Parts: sequence; structure tokens; C-alpha cells
Amino acid sequence: MRALNPACKFVGLLVATFVLAAVRSPWWNFAAFLLSMAAILAARVRPGKLLLLLIPVALAALGMFFTGYRFSADGSMPVRSDVFLVGSSQLWNGLLQASRVLAYAGLGYAFALTTDRIRMVRSFQRQFHVPQVFAYGLLAAWGVFPHMVQEFRRTRAAFRARGIRVFPVSPALLAPLLVKSVRWSEELAVAMESKGFAGSEPRTDFSPIRVRWFDWVFLAVCCLALPAAAVLFT
Amino acid sequence: MAISFENLQFTYFADRKPVLAQVSAAFDASEITVLTGPSGCGKSTLLYLAAGIYPQAAGLVQGGRVTVEGVEPASLKPPERCRLVGLMFQNPELQFCMDTVRNELIFCLENIRTDPAEIEARMDEALAFCEIAHLKDRTLLSLSGGERQKVMLACLTALGPKWLLLDEPFANIDDEAARAIAAKLGQLHRERGVGILAVDHRLENWLSVADTIRFLDGGRLLPETMDARALDRARLEALGILVPGASYGPQLPPARPGEVVLELRNLSLTHQGSAILRNVNAQFRRGCLYAVVGPSGCGKSSLFGALSGVFPYRGEALLEGRSLKKLRRQDLGKIGFVTQNPQDQFVGGTVRREILASLRRDPNAEARSEEILRGIRLWRYRDISPYLLSQGQQRRLGVAALMAYDCRCLVCDEPTYAQDRRNTVAIMDGLARQARERNVALIFSTHDPQLARDYADEIYSLKEGTLHACAEPGV
Repeated sequence: MRALNPACKFVGLLVATFVLAAVRSPWWNFAAFLLSMAAILAARVRPGKLLLLLIPVALAALGMFFTGYRFSADGSMPVRSDVFLVGSSQLWNGLLQASRVLAYAGLGYAFALTTDRIRMVRSFQRQFHVPQVFAYGLLAAWGVFPHMVQEFRRTRAAFRARGIRVFPVSPALLAPLLVKSVRWSEELAVAMESKGFAGSEPRTDFSPIRVRWFDWVFLAVCCLALPAAAVLFT
Repeated sequence: MAISFENLQFTYFADRKPVLAQVSAAFDASEITVLTGPSGCGKSTLLYLAAGIYPQAAGLVQGGRVTVEGVEPASLKPPERCRLVGLMFQNPELQFCMDTVRNELIFCLENIRTDPAEIEARMDEALAFCEIAHLKDRTLLSLSGGERQKVMLACLTALGPKWLLLDEPFANIDDEAARAIAAKLGQLHRERGVGILAVDHRLENWLSVADTIRFLDGGRLLPETMDARALDRARLEALGILVPGASYGPQLPPARPGEVVLELRNLSLTHQGSAILRNVNAQFRRGCLYAVVGPSGCGKSSLFGALSGVFPYRGEALLEGRSLKKLRRQDLGKIGFVTQNPQDQFVGGTVRREILASLRRDPNAEARSEEILRGIRLWRYRDISPYLLSQGQQRRLGVAALMAYDCRCLVCDEPTYAQDRRNTVAIMDGLARQARERNVALIFSTHDPQLARDYADEIYSLKEGTLHACAEPGV
């Protein structure tokens, strides 16, 4: 999974999510989830880390199960099953909603946990022709993110030290962060330019991200075989 | 081979007075020149103009020109410009856009269109030159300030500019790391003929490699030059420049040690699995001044971050016998934090609200805020945002806002960071006087051993995660 071209992986998994959106079968969703987990573990992601990440997903799935279970299209609900994505069986409907959460989270994690962000941006730049100023700007912003988290904590501590209680999204708390992020972006832009980066100038590519045979196979499976199977078997 | 300024006049805003006025000078590549002067005198501006960053990024050239090797750097595109001049910044945290040392070097070499077949060798050579080959696959986030500056130097070495411009490159790092980088700069100059122009408040780390010292004051370049090997100490003092090894001459009332106000018991802190602080034990008394010294990355900021609640910790930190983690809301202001950057502590939308935030329980808050603001000469700025004040004004406001509270202990993380001698003395005298008069325990961290010697009643050294009382910084 790690060796796949990030752009191809992105397209393939995106198509898979659309296919799953159109299929009303918990078994398909569960299969997608299990395949995603297998792919993640095969990519040597630590099982402990994966389990931790799955906790909020499991909670959301549980919530969706009971939502689906309660609001099924039986006689008590003023909805028709052919209009809304709800089944007539409470259990089936609960499983369908819960499995959807698992499937989408699984596919999302399969992309996020097995993709190197530098390779992803370089691949998007090469395969999707994303402008390099946008691609490298994104990478620089990514680098700033840990500082933002740190600054958020620091600003919150400043308020607390003065005995002022603030909510995590309080404008008073976010204003200093905005001021700092503007200052940081200016400093970073100057630093990048002083290292020879210019949005419109040609650059060489040390390790070009290419589309190889197995990327085509992955794309064919996700974009052709999967929709075909969905049409044939559901 | 020279950088030359010809009657250069520069301003950031057309309706304000120029930051640089009729600057004319030539800096020769055969010498390492350090340009010094008080904060806000235009040193960094001059450097940014020589690097071709200004006026494109900010400001307005009102007259004159700047050339490097006969070329106006601002007229070049970034890939060509960085082969002519390389710029090293003050803040090592905001100079990189990739995740690892290796990727950052690749980014630099790709920018100047290096043949991909040569990139690996050029990268290894630059890392070997800076003696940081072992950091090649490390993430930049995991590096200390000194290591990041070495990585920046490796980037510049790989880019191979004819000139290196350095904007207070040692401001964030300890003396040992600073001297190692200065030695590498000297080697780069001698062996590869790279011209070096640096701006700095502190000269001591440059003395082993620099040839000439020049002075900028109030936007004007003084005509005199000084040999870095034969400093005229009297002249430096007259210009308000910190003389290496000289005392700051603190004006302090004698210490009157009071009761223990802050006590650390087996305080430990880990970050990303590695221990930063191990069983730190210390007691801090009211009315006393304490310095915490140690090399970059030793955990000074982490210790202060733990006390302010930014980082979780094990063990106990007790303020007047009560755990900091369990302080009641009305007691939170009893421990104040002065951050490296005064902007980190602002909570009010205007200068006056910043003071009022500390006086919420005072029935005469309005009158007292006026009195405080007049005392620190900021009353005329009372209705503007604190972010619009100058750095010195922000520092005064930050300290005054904390002191307005009934503060028992004041924790200051590098309060004199990137300040010149005059501002350093003003900040430290102000803090120390307040601490003495109001019987507050003042704990400050610093990279400057002289500052610790001059102002602290007790010096603590943070080494390998533990805090030791010591007679001399660095012991």
C-alpha cells in the first residue's frame, strides 16, 4: 500500500467511496473495512496506534447503529424506503449505517496512514499538475501546524494565568493565533524564497513519482472491477 | 567582490521617517564583517535589502541602490539570487518547509536546478562539512535550535552562494553551539572564499572569526570601523553595545529572602517518549532572583511550559503549598509568566484592556490602569492593539500587566531574547526592581552567562534533565 502512487491511491479510494455510497449492503461495507485494515497492517502501521485511532470510529459506528436501528422505515416512520437510504428491518438498517462509518473511516485511514505527505504532494504536483507554489506552500503550512498547536496551548495558558476562562474556539483565543500565523507565513515565504524557491521557475526533480504497473492494476480494480461488481451483485 | 550601498534610503511606510537614511558603504568579501547597533536601528533591514528580499516583500526604496558583486539582488529571480546571496535567519523554527533534513536539502538543490544525479553527493558533502551527517534522516521538529541552525548552514553550503548574510544567527542558541557555527562560517570563508556579513547585538561569539565591526545607529552607518581582534571597549560602551565579558551593571536593592513560594518535587516531563526533565527538585523564595541556564534543548522552556500548564508533567509543583494543577481560579494570577515573545501573553484587545484584565477585582481598576500605563509611558497608546506596539513597548506592557496582579512568583522565559544591551538592562532592571520591591520570586532562563551572573541571587543549571544549583553558569 505504501508503494502505491499517492495520486492513484487517492483516485482509487475516492472511487471506492462513491461505489460504497451507492451500494446498500453492510457486507460490502464490512468487506471494505476489513480490506482497509489488512492493507494498513500490511503497511506495518503499529496495531496499537491503529486501535487508538479506531476508538472514535467505533463510537461513531455505535451511535450510527442505534440511530439506524431506531429510525428505520418500518410502519412507525413517515418515510419510504425507496426514497431514503433506510431499510425496513431495524437491525439491517442499523448495521448498514454503522458499517458505512467503518468503511469510510477504514478507507480514509488506509490513505492517511500509508501515505508519506511529501510523496503525496509531489505526486499531486506531477500527476494532477497542481501548481508548485500551492504544493510547497501546503508542505510549509504542514510544517507550521505543530507550532500552531503549541501556540494554541501557550495562548490558552496565558489566559489561564490571568484567571480568564476561555472556550477552545473563543475569538479572544483565536485572534493572537491569527496574528501569529500571518507573521509566520511571511517569514516562511521569505525563507523559501531565499533558498531559491519561486512558484513559476522550473526545478529539477530528484526522485520523480511515477505511475507503475501495480498503480494501474490498483486503479483498474477500484475504478472498473469494483463498480462492475457492484452493478452485477447488488 | 563587495556588497555596496550607495546613498540608500529606505522606509516601511511612505509617510513615516526612513529606517535607513543615506547609507553608503562597501563590505568586502575578503573580510568577515559584523554589523552591530541598538535594537530597531535598521540592521536587519539593511541585510534584507542586500539579500534582495526588500523592497519586494516590504517597504519602499526612496533613493540610492544596493548591489552585490555589481548586481542588484532584487532584480534577480530567486534561483539566481540564492547563488549570489544566502540568508540565515534569527528564528531557526521558521526557515524550513520540508519534514526532514534530507528532504530540506533536496528541496534547496532542486530549486537551483541541480542535476538529480549530483544531488545525493552535494547533500552528503554539505552535511559532512557542517559535521551533521548523523542528522540526515532526522525530522526537523526533533532537532534543537543549534542543530537547526547547523542544518540551515548546510542548506546554504549546498546552495553555494558567494555571500552569506546572517541575521542574529545565535540569538536562539547556546554559546557552545554558537561557537561551533561561527567556526564553520570562518572555515567557509577561508576555504571557499564566501563573503560574510552578519548583524548581531552580541559580539563575543564572533570574536574568534570576525575581522571588522561596523556600527549602525538610528538608520545611519557610522563611518568608523573597529578591528574585531582589538576591541575599543570604551567606544563600544559609549555606543551602547554589549562589551564581551563586561558586567551589565545592575542597579539592584539587596535581596531579602522570604518564605518558599514555589517548590518543585520530583518534577518529570517526557516528550515523544524521551525524558526531558527527570526528578527536578528546587525551592524558590520570595524576594529572590533565580537564573536557569543550560545548553539549547536542555529543557528550560519545557520546564517553564510545564509550570504554565502547556506541557503535562509528573511529580509536584507547589505554589505556596498548593499544587499548581489544583489552583483555584482566583489564585491563578499568583504565578505570572513572561514569555520570550511578549505577544504570547496578550489577552486584551487594547493596551488598556490588557492592564484591566489583571485588575478585574479591583474597584479602582480604571484609575489604576491609567496610573500603570502612565508609569510605563504607554498611556497615549491605550486604545490601540498591543500587537501594534514596538517590541520594547510590548515587553513593558507584558511585565506591567502581570505585575498589576498580586503576583507571588514570576517565571520569565528568555526575557531579554534578541535585545540589545540598553534594552536588556532596562528589562532586567525593571523586572528585578519589581521583584525586590514587591517581594516576588523571579525565575528567568537565559543563554547569556553574564546576565545570570549579574542578576541572579542563585543560578541553576539544567543538564541532562536535572536541575543543579551552581556558582557559575555552565558549571
